[in-house]
Amino acid sequence: MTERYSFSLTTFSPSGKLVQIEYALAAVAAGAPSVGIKATNGVVLASEKKHKSVLYDEHSIHKVELITKNIGIVYSGMGPDYRVLVRNARKLAQQYFLTYQEQIPTLQMVQRIANVMQEYTQSGGVRPFGVSLLIAGWDEDEERPYLYQCDPSGAYFAWKATAMGKNYINGKTFLEKRYSEDLELEDAVHTAILTLKESFEGQMTEDNIEIGICNQDGFRRLNPTEVKDYLGAIA
Amino acid sequence: MQMDPGLHKGEGYQYGPNPKQHYFSPYSMNGGTVLAIAGEDFAVVASDTRLSEGFSIHTRDSPKTYQLTNSTVLGCTGFHGDVLTVTKLLEARLKMYKNEHNRQMSTSAIAAMLSTVLYYRRFFPYYVYNIIGGLDDEGKGAVYSFDPIGSYEREAYRAGGTASSMLQPLLDNQIGFKNQEGVTKVPLSKEKAVFLVKDVFISAAERDIYTGDNIMIHVTTKDGTETEVFPLRRD
Repeated sequence: MTERYSFSLTTFSPSGKLVQIEYALAAVAAGAPSVGIKATNGVVLASEKKHKSVLYDEHSIHKVELITKNIGIVYSGMGPDYRVLVRNARKLAQQYFLTYQEQIPTLQMVQRIANVMQEYTQSGGVRPFGVSLLIAGWDEDEERPYLYQCDPSGAYFAWKATAMGKNYINGKTFLEKRYSEDLELEDAVHTAILTLKESFEGQMTEDNIEIGICNQDGFRRLNPTEVKDYLGAIA
Repeated sequence: MQMDPGLHKGEGYQYGPNPKQHYFSPYSMNGGTVLAIAGEDFAVVASDTRLSEGFSIHTRDSPKTYQLTNSTVLGCTGFHGDVLTVTKLLEARLKMYKNEHNRQMSTSAIAAMLSTVLYYRRFFPYYVYNIIGGLDDEGKGAVYSFDPIGSYEREAYRAGGTASSMLQPLLDNQIGFKNQEGVTKVPLSKEKAVFLVKDVFISAAERDIYTGDNIMIHVTTKDGTETEVFPLRRD
């Protein structure tokens, strides 16, 4: 079906906007909240994972995912679109390794993912991805943490801390007040949880949020027990 | 010396009793020898400067070494047409990497990439024998040697090209201390390495008709690369 469309479905409006991208951003803003905070010694990614029914098997599917040993990712928006991008990103990371026998630097990964997302705004017969991504990485040679956001347009931004999804404006305001340059990873996780709590309806438990951390030991998703410990620390 | 009594070579014509099929060969052999040695904190890459074809000399001033970065030198011999193409390709890829990464490629990354560049032409190979000499990420000397289709390995020393079979055993003995009994293995100093290189090339020029005229020696340390030209037999 896509072969028949050699023209892009994302076209300019008279005011100079690409409305499909605006709508994609709206899909993101309607999605579950996620938060990313860069600390002095690492990065934390956190996201709400509310299920519509108690029958859902909560821990089978994950929002926070690993791309390489040192790079992790989370999203706000449409889950299926996210899965495609994660798959793509993982392949790109391995292709890089095959060519250079080196782990892909975080910024290079971000640029490649952003490039894929941009292609879907200018190719025939496709629509933009309905997700914004938060990418956390630790570069071995430079020994420093990175946090980036990728938008449906293909634009990417480097952040110290940010929020996406529902109530992201409040989330960002909260972070503006709470963020400091000398936050360590432990405090950053705490702050991330508090930021999520701002827009959380109901009781926050280790089964309905996901947290991932990235430091010099690489990226990993926290298991529910660890999340529970952090939750216990908030008043 | 054995000579086929039926064949006389004079003025480029071949006379003989048997029919000879003519065909176009995409390759020709332009001779030359390359050598690389890895020290504790330095690397030496040397080549002769004679370019030949058959029993003729094209030029006495064609070095087979190419400076890729401050800390990496490539030596390549074989078919000169492919030597030029491979070096052009590599230099372009290095520039692209520098633009994307804002830093130079490491020696190990260049080696890995060269392997893929060569394998890409698995079914119409570049007739080039490559040896990379430089400093690794820790500042230690590194030598990587390749075959025409990209098989590569890191070594302490390697000779390639027409006189490689003469040089390699000599290096095995002097640097690897092979086939020697009761010797104390001293690490190779920069000065001794250069003397050794000159000596082995002088020996090679004695017996290999394709090696001679001049040697070009590059010595790479953390402070950059120094180059020296040294005369050889011109016969």
